[in-house]
Amino acid sequence: MATKTPAKTSKARKPGKRAQSKQAIRDRIVKAALTLFQTKGFDTTTTKAIARKAGIAEGTVFNYFRTKEDIALFFFEEEVDHAIAAVRDDLRLRKAPLEEKLFKLVHSQLEFLAPYERFIGAALLHALNPASHLGAFSHRAQQLRHRYLAFVAELIEDSSPRRKNDALSWLVPEAFWIYYLGVLLFWLYDTSKDKQHTLAFLDRSLNVGVSFLQTGRR
Amino acid sequence: MTNTPTRRAFKAASIGANIAGSYLGYVLQSAFAGKTTREQKLKTTHTRVARKVRDEMLLMRGPAMKLGQTLSLQTGILPEETLAELATLQMQAPGMHPSLVRVQVKTSLGKEPEEIFETFSPKPFAAASLGQVHDATIRGGKRVAVKIQYPGIGETIESDFKWFRTITKPAQVSGHIPKEAIDEMERQIIAETDYKREADNIDFFKKKLAPLSFVEVPDVFREYSSDKVLTMTFVRGRHLEQFLASGPSQKVRNQLATNLFDLYYFQLLNLGAFHADPHWGNYLFNDDCTIGLVDFGCAKKLSKPALQYLKGVYLYSGSRHSAEFRRLLETNYENQGKKLPRAAYRALVDFAEEYRKVYPPEKDKQFVFDFSDKTFLTNYIRHATNLFRTKHVMTDYIFMARAEMGLYNTLHALKARVPTSDIVRKYL
Repeated sequence: MATKTPAKTSKARKPGKRAQSKQAIRDRIVKAALTLFQTKGFDTTTTKAIARKAGIAEGTVFNYFRTKEDIALFFFEEEVDHAIAAVRDDLRLRKAPLEEKLFKLVHSQLEFLAPYERFIGAALLHALNPASHLGAFSHRAQQLRHRYLAFVAELIEDSSPRRKNDALSWLVPEAFWIYYLGVLLFWLYDTSKDKQHTLAFLDRSLNVGVSFLQTGRR
Repeated sequence: MTNTPTRRAFKAASIGANIAGSYLGYVLQSAFAGKTTREQKLKTTHTRVARKVRDEMLLMRGPAMKLGQTLSLQTGILPEETLAELATLQMQAPGMHPSLVRVQVKTSLGKEPEEIFETFSPKPFAAASLGQVHDATIRGGKRVAVKIQYPGIGETIESDFKWFRTITKPAQVSGHIPKEAIDEMERQIIAETDYKREADNIDFFKKKLAPLSFVEVPDVFREYSSDKVLTMTFVRGRHLEQFLASGPSQKVRNQLATNLFDLYYFQLLNLGAFHADPHWGNYLFNDDCTIGLVDFGCAKKLSKPALQYLKGVYLYSGSRHSAEFRRLLETNYENQGKKLPRAAYRALVDFAEEYRKVYPPEKDKQFVFDFSDKTFLTNYIRHATNLFRTKHVMTDYIFMARAEMGLYNTLHALKARVPTSDIVRKYL
């Protein structure tokens, strides 16, 4: 894995004044949408309601996003961007063991998702629908997943360089994806105060998982 | 007894026991096994499991250790030395890496440690019960110790106890493991997970132990503390092993042991409340014979009648077989709404006889007890075990027995001579 995973989804981000105001509007739409997804539910929220909440015309919403699924997907892209940057920009993590880097990655994701917990639960169900844009099978969602897993593979690579024809090198990121979904489910159903159980679960499982991986590679 | 439902239940429990592993299962089984099978089993189990149980208890580092220790006292299956060692071992949580530490502090205090403290060492300098301790300085440059709890440990303990209660139902019914004993353990161990309560304990002992000039208790910084983070002043001193490695003289060891002994009886008989976690990480020793006391998670308060009873039996000058002594014991049981059973009476009288050797009631300024002799320690544990096995021990004494056993084990490690009766007499 010689190439570095791009830290950001490819979007025009270098801001001119025009771009800045475009970004501000987009952020407003996303924020309004997520608030509604969280309070009213994903299915019952209409683009009309989103526009009203954001204080813009419904047509303007369509200039930015084709569907509400696109808004949700945009949010998940931001979530992954945020988490990758959190690991990459943390200088203290440079020499940290793999389990700590992965902990930081997943925890940053959960932290990002936390204000919209109810919506995440609904989105997880949506993701199982093959026809949904949000679905695990849509092209954009696939891309996002690949980028995320490429970063995971990069972290693993940094900590324990693989041997040639190592079967684990393709298996591990795939397994990690399933693991991540498991953590997400655990987190959604965690009723402990401050989600302390998820923290313990994340910590213990990564410890075991990483030592398992490293023994396998030795 | 080969295939009774109880036995089967215990077998199933021991297979399913994922926490304390096979030892706890064995403890439960053996409570029902005959003596010869027990001894035979013990032999084979010891070698195979002895190391495993220690490792596992250390690794799990949870309440299983305390449970295991108290239970072994109940059933007498662990060798005396191991029991004494267990009393001074620490209940520990898994270690936390800096990222998890940061999350825990932020969740608990609202800010990352680097924002709260002037300096904060991301690596812990000590393990604590249920967490770890970090070196830090607060604004103004004062050095502090920050104790941080491992996430979700309170709930883990609660669910461990639920599991434990379920699998020990038969033993509870038979009285081998009294329900009150489990209640008492659960209460105490759960209490330890609340660092706010511990902060209250520190304040209490800081005030009450002030007359003892040789004891140092930290100050709590409430503004940097919560139920999961506890910030206190740094207490100087070395742990027992390090202290002993520096080769202290007999005189220093005697003085230090005398101070430790004084500290214990001052708490027990004067305050009626004591620091009940005697593991060695909680005591810090100095060459000037001062003692730093840390980790007040487990503090036990005695009821007034229980304290009265203790004052009556310590240094009791008459015969242990007298009617008067019997009356003392009976009153103590009556205060708890119980009748003194014959078996418990016999065990208590034997126990008291043993005590008399260490705490002779006669006034003798010259008398010192030599703790370097291990016989006393093993005898003490044997008697305690006998008492616990009568199934009629008072719950008040579960933690007292632990504290006392820990104290004796420490005095033995110091190979010290202590004027035992003189010290106790001060507080009667």
